[in-house]
Amino acid sequence: MSGYEILSLHEIEPVPYHAREGEKLLTVDRLLDYRAAGVNAWLGDPGERLVPEHSEDTDEELYVVVAGRATFTVDGTNLDAPAGTLVHVTAGENRTAVAEEPGTIVLAVGATPGEAHPASGWTSWVVADALRREGRVEDGRRAMAAMLERNPGSWQASYNVACYEALAGNADAAFEHLTQAVRIDAEAVRQLAAEDSDFETLRADPRWQEVAG
Amino acid sequence: MNHAHVDELERIEMDEGFVWRPVRRRFGIRAFGVNAYTPREAGTQVVEDHTESQLQHEEIYLVLRGCARFTVGDDEHELGPGQLVFVRDPQLRRSAVALTADTAVLALGGKPGEAFTPSAWEWYFQAYELPTDDGIELLRRGLEELGERGPFYYHLACLEARAGRLEDAKTHLDRALELEPRLAENAAIDDDLKEVR
Repeated sequence: MSGYEILSLHEIEPVPYHAREGEKLLTVDRLLDYRAAGVNAWLGDPGERLVPEHSEDTDEELYVVVAGRATFTVDGTNLDAPAGTLVHVTAGENRTAVAEEPGTIVLAVGATPGEAHPASGWTSWVVADALRREGRVEDGRRAMAAMLERNPGSWQASYNVACYEALAGNADAAFEHLTQAVRIDAEAVRQLAAEDSDFETLRADPRWQEVAG
Repeated sequence: MNHAHVDELERIEMDEGFVWRPVRRRFGIRAFGVNAYTPREAGTQVVEDHTESQLQHEEIYLVLRGCARFTVGDDEHELGPGQLVFVRDPQLRRSAVALTADTAVLALGGKPGEAFTPSAWEWYFQAYELPTDDGIELLRRGLEELGERGPFYYHLACLEARAGRLEDAKTHLDRALELEPRLAENAAIDDDLKEVR
Protein backbone atom coordinates (compact mmCIF):
# COMPACT_ATOMS: atom_id res chain seq x y z
CA MET A 1 0.00 0.00 0.00
CA SER A 2 1.41 3.38 -1.04
CA GLY A 3 1.91 6.18 1.46
CA TYR A 4 -0.51 8.42 -0.41
CA GLU A 5 -3.30 8.39 -2.99
CA ILE A 6 -4.82 10.84 -5.46
CA LEU A 7 -8.57 10.81 -6.04
CA SER A 8 -10.95 13.00 -8.02
CA LEU A 9 -14.47 13.39 -6.63
CA HIS A 10 -15.64 13.96 -10.23
CA GLU A 11 -14.45 10.50 -11.27
CA ILE A 12 -15.86 8.38 -8.45
CA GLU A 13 -18.66 6.05 -9.53
CA PRO A 14 -21.72 7.21 -7.55
CA VAL A 15 -23.65 4.60 -5.57
CA PRO A 16 -27.44 5.00 -5.33
CA TYR A 17 -28.38 5.30 -1.68
CA HIS A 18 -31.15 2.77 -0.95
CA ALA A 19 -33.79 2.96 -3.68
CA ARG A 20 -34.39 6.68 -3.33
CA GLU A 21 -34.48 9.31 -6.04
CA GLY A 22 -31.25 11.29 -6.14
CA GLU A 23 -29.08 10.62 -3.08
CA LYS A 24 -26.03 9.40 -4.94
CA LEU A 25 -23.14 8.66 -2.61
CA LEU A 26 -19.45 8.99 -3.44
CA THR A 27 -17.85 6.56 -0.99
CA VAL A 28 -14.66 8.49 -0.31
CA ASP A 29 -13.54 6.93 2.99
CA ARG A 30 -14.19 3.43 1.65
CA LEU A 31 -12.12 4.06 -1.48
CA LEU A 32 -9.27 5.59 0.50
CA ASP A 33 -9.67 3.43 3.61
CA TYR A 34 -9.65 6.70 5.56
CA ARG A 35 -10.27 5.88 9.22
CA ALA A 36 -9.93 9.04 11.30
CA ALA A 37 -13.47 10.28 10.55
CA GLY A 38 -16.36 9.52 8.23
CA VAL A 39 -15.68 11.25 4.89
CA ASN A 40 -18.05 10.91 1.97
CA ALA A 41 -19.69 13.08 -0.69
CA TRP A 42 -23.10 13.41 -2.28
CA LEU A 43 -23.66 14.13 -5.97
CA GLY A 44 -26.80 15.54 -7.57
CA ASP A 45 -28.40 17.57 -10.37
CA PRO A 46 -30.99 20.35 -9.89
CA GLY A 47 -33.88 19.20 -7.70
CA GLU A 48 -32.19 15.98 -6.62
CA ARG A 49 -31.68 15.33 -2.95
CA LEU A 50 -28.06 15.28 -1.88
CA VAL A 51 -27.96 14.76 1.87
CA PRO A 52 -30.74 12.43 3.08
CA GLU A 53 -32.98 14.02 5.68
CA HIS A 54 -31.72 12.79 9.03
CA SER A 55 -30.27 13.72 12.38
CA GLU A 56 -27.25 12.21 14.07
CA ASP A 57 -27.25 10.78 17.61
CA THR A 58 -23.74 11.84 18.56
CA ASP A 59 -21.81 12.88 15.43
CA GLU A 60 -21.12 16.46 14.52
CA GLU A 61 -20.92 16.97 10.77
CA LEU A 62 -19.34 19.45 8.42
CA TYR A 63 -20.72 19.74 4.90
CA VAL A 64 -18.64 21.47 2.24
CA VAL A 65 -20.07 22.47 -1.14
CA VAL A 66 -17.26 21.45 -3.48
CA ALA A 67 -19.03 22.07 -6.80
CA GLY A 68 -22.33 23.59 -7.92
CA ARG A 69 -24.84 24.96 -5.48
CA ALA A 70 -27.13 23.45 -2.85
CA THR A 71 -29.98 24.44 -0.59
CA PHE A 72 -29.57 23.12 2.95
CA THR A 73 -32.47 22.85 5.35
CA VAL A 74 -31.53 22.44 8.99
CA ASP A 75 -34.31 22.35 11.58
CA GLY A 76 -36.59 24.19 9.16
CA THR A 77 -34.11 26.94 8.24
CA ASN A 78 -33.06 27.16 4.58
CA LEU A 79 -29.58 28.13 3.46
CA ASP A 80 -28.46 28.93 -0.10
CA ALA A 81 -24.99 27.41 -0.32
CA PRO A 82 -22.81 28.11 -3.39
CA ALA A 83 -19.50 26.29 -3.94
CA GLY A 84 -17.07 27.05 -1.13
CA THR A 85 -19.74 27.11 1.59
CA LEU A 86 -19.10 25.19 4.81
CA VAL A 87 -22.08 24.14 6.92
CA HIS A 88 -21.60 22.80 10.45
CA VAL A 89 -24.43 20.76 11.95
CA THR A 90 -24.44 19.35 15.47
CA ALA A 91 -25.96 16.09 16.75
CA GLY A 92 -29.75 16.21 17.01
CA GLU A 93 -30.31 18.83 14.29
CA ASN A 94 -32.46 17.63 11.41
CA ARG A 95 -30.66 18.26 8.14
CA THR A 96 -31.05 17.72 4.42
CA ALA A 97 -29.77 19.31 1.20
CA VAL A 98 -30.98 19.53 -2.39
CA ALA A 99 -28.86 20.29 -5.48
CA GLU A 100 -29.52 23.54 -7.34
CA GLU A 101 -26.96 23.22 -10.16
CA PRO A 102 -25.84 20.34 -12.40
CA GLY A 103 -23.08 18.20 -10.91
CA THR A 104 -23.36 19.61 -7.41
CA ILE A 105 -21.03 17.83 -4.98
CA VAL A 106 -21.25 18.16 -1.21
CA LEU A 107 -18.51 16.65 0.94
CA ALA A 108 -19.68 15.35 4.34
CA VAL A 109 -17.29 14.83 7.26
CA GLY A 110 -18.54 13.41 10.53
CA ALA A 111 -17.42 11.94 13.85
CA THR A 112 -18.29 11.95 17.53
CA PRO A 113 -16.37 14.37 19.76
CA GLY A 114 -14.23 12.61 22.36
CA GLU A 115 -14.45 9.20 20.71
CA ALA A 116 -12.22 7.29 18.34
CA HIS A 117 -14.04 7.01 15.01
CA PRO A 118 -15.32 3.43 14.70
CA ALA A 119 -15.02 1.56 11.42
CA SER A 120 -18.74 0.91 11.00
CA GLY A 121 -18.50 -0.08 7.34
CA TRP A 122 -21.51 2.09 6.56
CA THR A 123 -20.30 2.98 3.07
CA SER A 124 -19.46 -0.66 2.29
CA TRP A 125 -22.98 -1.52 3.36
CA VAL A 126 -24.41 1.14 1.01
CA VAL A 127 -22.40 -0.38 -1.86
CA ALA A 128 -23.45 -3.91 -0.93
CA ASP A 129 -27.09 -2.83 -0.66
CA ALA A 130 -26.98 -1.23 -4.13
CA LEU A 131 -25.50 -4.41 -5.61
CA ARG A 132 -28.17 -6.48 -3.92
CA ARG A 133 -30.93 -4.33 -5.39
CA GLU A 134 -29.41 -5.00 -8.80
CA GLY A 135 -29.76 -8.71 -8.06
CA ARG A 136 -26.01 -9.06 -7.48
CA VAL A 137 -26.28 -10.60 -3.99
CA GLU A 138 -22.99 -12.47 -4.26
CA ASP A 139 -21.14 -9.25 -5.22
CA GLY A 140 -22.77 -7.55 -2.24
CA ARG A 141 -21.63 -10.36 0.03
CA ARG A 142 -18.09 -10.00 -1.29
CA ALA A 143 -18.14 -6.23 -0.67
CA MET A 144 -19.12 -6.76 2.96
CA ALA A 145 -16.66 -9.64 3.40
CA ALA A 146 -13.86 -7.36 2.17
CA MET A 147 -14.94 -4.71 4.66
CA LEU A 148 -14.94 -7.30 7.46
CA GLU A 149 -11.45 -8.42 6.50
CA ARG A 150 -10.20 -4.82 6.87
CA ASN A 151 -12.16 -4.21 10.09
CA PRO A 152 -12.55 -7.47 12.04
CA GLY A 153 -13.51 -5.54 15.19
CA SER A 154 -16.60 -3.93 13.62
CA TRP A 155 -19.88 -5.51 14.75
CA GLN A 156 -21.63 -3.84 11.83
CA ALA A 157 -19.34 -5.62 9.37
CA SER A 158 -19.91 -9.05 10.97
CA TYR A 159 -23.65 -8.37 11.17
CA ASN A 160 -23.96 -7.43 7.52
CA VAL A 161 -21.88 -10.38 6.34
CA ALA A 162 -24.28 -12.54 8.38
CA CYS A 163 -27.18 -10.95 6.47
CA TYR A 164 -25.68 -11.84 3.11
CA GLU A 165 -24.81 -15.37 4.20
CA ALA A 166 -28.39 -15.83 5.41
CA LEU A 167 -29.75 -14.54 2.09
CA ALA A 168 -27.49 -16.99 0.26
CA GLY A 169 -28.81 -19.85 2.39
CA ASN A 170 -25.51 -20.37 4.23
CA ALA A 171 -26.96 -20.77 7.72
CA ASP A 172 -23.75 -21.99 9.37
CA ALA A 173 -21.74 -19.04 8.09
CA ALA A 174 -24.55 -16.64 8.97
CA PHE A 175 -24.66 -17.86 12.58
CA GLU A 176 -20.88 -17.74 12.80
CA HIS A 177 -20.79 -14.05 11.81
CA LEU A 178 -23.86 -13.15 13.84
CA THR A 179 -22.26 -14.75 16.90
CA GLN A 180 -19.14 -12.67 16.34
CA ALA A 181 -21.26 -9.50 16.03
CA VAL A 182 -23.03 -10.36 19.30
CA ARG A 183 -19.68 -10.83 21.02
CA ILE A 184 -18.76 -7.24 20.09
CA ASP A 185 -22.09 -5.52 20.86
CA ALA A 186 -24.87 -7.87 21.97
CA GLU A 187 -27.45 -5.18 22.68
CA ALA A 188 -27.13 -3.38 19.34
CA VAL A 189 -27.06 -6.61 17.35
CA ARG A 190 -30.02 -8.27 19.08
CA GLN A 191 -32.11 -5.13 18.73
CA LEU A 192 -31.45 -4.93 14.97
CA ALA A 193 -31.68 -8.65 14.33
CA ALA A 194 -35.10 -8.96 16.00
CA GLU A 195 -36.85 -7.32 13.05
CA ASP A 196 -34.37 -7.88 10.24
CA SER A 197 -36.08 -9.68 7.36
CA ASP A 198 -32.70 -10.89 6.06
CA PHE A 199 -32.74 -13.44 8.88
CA GLU A 200 -36.17 -14.95 8.13
CA THR A 201 -34.58 -18.24 7.11
CA LEU A 202 -32.67 -18.46 10.40
CA ARG A 203 -35.47 -17.86 12.87
CA ALA A 204 -36.73 -21.46 12.86
CA ASP A 205 -33.21 -22.73 13.51
CA PRO A 206 -32.63 -23.81 17.14
CA ARG A 207 -29.46 -21.63 17.20
CA TRP A 208 -31.47 -18.43 16.66
CA GLN A 209 -32.66 -18.06 20.26
CA GLU A 210 -29.22 -18.76 21.62
CA VAL A 211 -27.48 -16.22 19.38
CA ALA A 212 -30.00 -13.48 18.68
CA GLY A 213 -32.98 -14.16 20.89
CA MET B 1 -26.50 25.19 12.07
CA ASN B 2 -23.55 27.44 11.60
CA HIS B 3 -22.10 28.29 8.21
CA ALA B 4 -19.53 30.38 6.38
CA HIS B 5 -18.11 30.68 2.91
CA VAL B 6 -14.41 29.89 2.68
CA ASP B 7 -13.78 33.56 1.77
CA GLU B 8 -15.53 34.66 4.97
CA LEU B 9 -13.19 32.69 7.23
CA GLU B 10 -10.60 34.53 9.28
CA ARG B 11 -7.31 35.18 7.43
CA ILE B 12 -4.10 34.41 9.30
CA GLU B 13 -1.13 35.19 7.07
CA MET B 14 1.83 32.93 7.73
CA ASP B 15 5.48 33.79 7.05
CA GLU B 16 5.74 30.84 4.64
CA GLY B 17 3.36 32.59 2.22
CA PHE B 18 0.11 30.76 2.84
CA VAL B 19 -3.00 32.07 4.55
CA TRP B 20 -4.52 29.87 7.22
CA ARG B 21 -8.32 29.99 7.27
CA PRO B 22 -9.38 28.36 10.55
CA VAL B 23 -12.40 26.09 10.09
CA ARG B 24 -12.31 23.83 13.16
CA ARG B 25 -12.04 26.79 15.47
CA ARG B 26 -14.62 28.84 13.57
CA PHE B 27 -17.26 26.19 14.18
CA GLY B 28 -15.95 24.78 17.48
CA ILE B 29 -15.49 21.33 15.92
CA ARG B 30 -14.14 18.78 18.43
CA ALA B 31 -14.43 15.52 16.53
CA PHE B 32 -11.88 15.94 13.71
CA GLY B 33 -9.25 18.33 12.43
CA VAL B 34 -10.27 20.58 9.55
CA ASN B 35 -8.86 23.81 8.16
CA ALA B 36 -8.68 25.67 4.88
CA TYR B 37 -5.73 27.37 3.24
CA THR B 38 -5.39 29.97 0.52
CA PRO B 39 -2.22 31.49 -0.97
CA ARG B 40 -1.13 35.12 -0.69
CA GLU B 41 -0.75 35.06 -4.47
CA ALA B 42 -0.20 32.63 -7.29
CA GLY B 43 3.12 30.86 -6.91
CA THR B 44 3.21 30.91 -3.11
CA GLN B 45 2.66 28.04 -0.71
CA VAL B 46 -0.88 26.91 0.04
CA VAL B 47 0.05 23.86 2.11
CA GLU B 48 3.01 24.15 4.46
CA ASP B 49 5.99 21.85 3.87
CA HIS B 50 5.68 19.37 6.75
CA THR B 51 5.24 15.81 7.95
CA GLU B 52 2.75 14.49 10.49
CA SER B 53 5.42 12.58 12.43
CA GLN B 54 4.54 14.27 15.70
CA LEU B 55 0.75 13.98 15.58
CA GLN B 56 0.60 10.79 13.47
CA HIS B 57 -2.39 12.17 11.60
CA GLU B 58 -3.55 10.82 8.26
CA GLU B 59 -4.57 13.78 6.14
CA ILE B 60 -6.74 14.58 3.15
CA TYR B 61 -6.08 17.75 1.14
CA LEU B 62 -8.98 18.63 -1.16
CA VAL B 63 -8.71 21.40 -3.75
CA LEU B 64 -11.91 23.42 -3.51
CA ARG B 65 -11.03 25.79 -6.35
CA GLY B 66 -8.07 26.92 -8.41
CA CYS B 67 -5.09 24.67 -8.96
CA ALA B 68 -2.18 23.60 -6.79
CA ARG B 69 1.02 21.64 -7.35
CA PHE B 70 1.40 19.14 -4.52
CA THR B 71 4.71 17.59 -3.62
CA VAL B 72 4.35 14.33 -1.69
CA GLY B 73 7.63 12.62 -0.96
CA ASP B 74 9.51 12.87 -4.26
CA ASP B 75 6.38 13.04 -6.42
CA GLU B 76 4.58 16.07 -7.84
CA HIS B 77 0.91 16.29 -8.83
CA GLU B 78 -1.09 19.23 -10.18
CA LEU B 79 -4.58 19.03 -8.72
CA GLY B 80 -7.66 21.03 -9.63
CA PRO B 81 -11.11 21.52 -8.11
CA GLY B 82 -12.60 18.34 -6.66
CA GLN B 83 -9.29 16.48 -6.65
CA LEU B 84 -7.68 15.37 -3.43
CA VAL B 85 -4.55 13.78 -2.11
CA PHE B 86 -4.81 11.45 0.86
CA VAL B 87 -1.49 11.17 2.72
CA ARG B 88 -1.77 8.00 4.73
CA ASP B 89 1.85 7.85 5.86
CA PRO B 90 2.51 10.48 8.55
CA GLN B 91 6.26 10.41 7.79
CA LEU B 92 5.81 11.54 4.17
CA ARG B 93 6.74 15.17 3.54
CA ARG B 94 3.99 17.08 1.82
CA SER B 95 3.49 20.64 0.59
CA ALA B 96 1.63 22.51 -2.14
CA VAL B 97 2.14 25.65 -4.18
CA ALA B 98 -0.87 27.49 -5.57
CA LEU B 99 -0.80 27.86 -9.35
CA THR B 100 -3.68 30.33 -9.35
CA ALA B 101 -4.35 33.14 -6.89
CA ASP B 102 -7.90 31.93 -6.13
CA THR B 103 -6.78 28.47 -4.98
CA ALA B 104 -8.40 27.14 -1.81
CA VAL B 105 -7.48 23.83 -0.17
CA LEU B 106 -9.42 22.06 2.57
CA ALA B 107 -7.35 19.88 4.92
CA LEU B 108 -8.84 17.10 7.08
CA GLY B 109 -6.82 15.24 9.67
CA GLY B 110 -6.93 12.84 12.57
CA LYS B 111 -5.21 9.80 14.02
CA PRO B 112 -7.04 6.55 13.26
CA GLY B 113 -8.22 4.70 16.34
CA GLU B 114 -7.94 7.70 18.65
CA ALA B 115 -10.35 10.39 19.73
CA PHE B 116 -9.41 13.70 18.11
CA THR B 117 -8.00 16.47 20.25
CA PRO B 118 -7.20 19.90 18.84
CA SER B 119 -3.51 20.54 18.22
CA ALA B 120 -1.55 23.22 20.04
CA TRP B 121 -0.29 24.55 16.69
CA GLU B 122 -3.70 26.13 16.07
CA TRP B 123 -2.88 28.46 18.96
CA TYR B 124 0.82 29.05 18.51
CA PHE B 125 0.62 29.58 14.72
CA GLN B 126 -1.62 32.53 15.36
CA ALA B 127 0.16 33.73 18.50
CA TYR B 128 3.23 34.73 16.49
CA GLU B 129 1.10 36.74 14.08
CA LEU B 130 -0.34 38.89 16.89
CA PRO B 131 1.21 41.69 18.94
CA THR B 132 3.39 39.89 21.52
CA ASP B 133 1.17 40.51 24.54
CA ASP B 134 -1.90 39.33 22.64
CA GLY B 135 0.00 36.24 21.52
CA ILE B 136 0.92 35.46 25.12
CA GLU B 137 -2.70 35.84 26.15
CA LEU B 138 -3.84 33.55 23.32
CA LEU B 139 -1.41 30.82 24.45
CA ARG B 140 -2.61 31.15 28.04
CA ARG B 141 -6.17 30.63 26.84
CA GLY B 142 -5.01 27.59 24.88
CA LEU B 143 -3.47 26.15 28.04
CA GLU B 144 -6.73 26.66 29.89
CA GLU B 145 -8.73 25.03 27.10
CA LEU B 146 -6.52 22.06 26.24
CA GLY B 147 -4.53 21.60 29.44
CA GLU B 148 -0.77 21.42 29.90
CA ARG B 149 1.18 20.67 26.73
CA GLY B 150 4.87 21.15 26.10
CA PRO B 151 4.45 23.21 22.90
CA PHE B 152 2.20 25.73 24.68
CA TYR B 153 4.83 26.39 27.36
CA TYR B 154 7.63 26.41 24.77
CA HIS B 155 6.01 29.06 22.59
CA LEU B 156 4.85 30.98 25.64
CA ALA B 157 8.51 31.11 26.71
CA CYS B 158 9.52 32.37 23.25
CA LEU B 159 6.97 35.19 23.28
CA GLU B 160 7.72 36.12 26.89
CA ALA B 161 11.41 36.31 26.01
CA ARG B 162 10.54 38.61 23.09
CA ALA B 163 8.60 40.77 25.57
CA GLY B 164 11.62 40.87 27.93
CA ARG B 165 9.87 38.79 30.62
CA LEU B 166 12.86 36.54 31.06
CA GLU B 167 11.93 35.00 34.42
CA ASP B 168 8.52 33.92 33.11
CA ALA B 169 10.18 32.67 29.96
CA LYS B 170 12.66 30.55 31.93
CA THR B 171 9.93 29.05 34.12
CA HIS B 172 7.84 28.13 31.10
CA LEU B 173 10.76 26.78 29.10
CA ASP B 174 11.65 24.50 32.03
CA ARG B 175 8.07 23.25 32.15
CA ALA B 176 8.03 22.70 28.39
CA LEU B 177 11.17 20.58 28.59
CA GLU B 178 9.80 18.61 31.54
CA LEU B 179 6.70 17.75 29.54
CA GLU B 180 8.47 17.19 26.20
CA PRO B 181 12.23 16.69 26.45
CA ARG B 182 12.48 16.54 22.63
CA LEU B 183 11.90 20.31 22.57
CA ALA B 184 15.41 20.81 24.00
CA GLU B 185 16.77 20.40 20.48
CA ASN B 186 14.76 23.40 19.26
CA ALA B 187 15.45 25.39 22.41
CA ALA B 188 19.19 25.07 21.85
CA ILE B 189 19.05 26.94 18.54
CA ASP B 190 15.95 29.12 18.89
CA ASP B 191 16.88 32.82 18.56
CA ASP B 192 13.92 33.80 20.74
CA LEU B 193 15.45 31.91 23.65
CA LYS B 194 19.08 33.05 23.46
CA GLU B 195 18.76 35.19 26.59
CA VAL B 196 16.95 32.43 28.47
CA ARG B 197 19.22 29.47 27.78
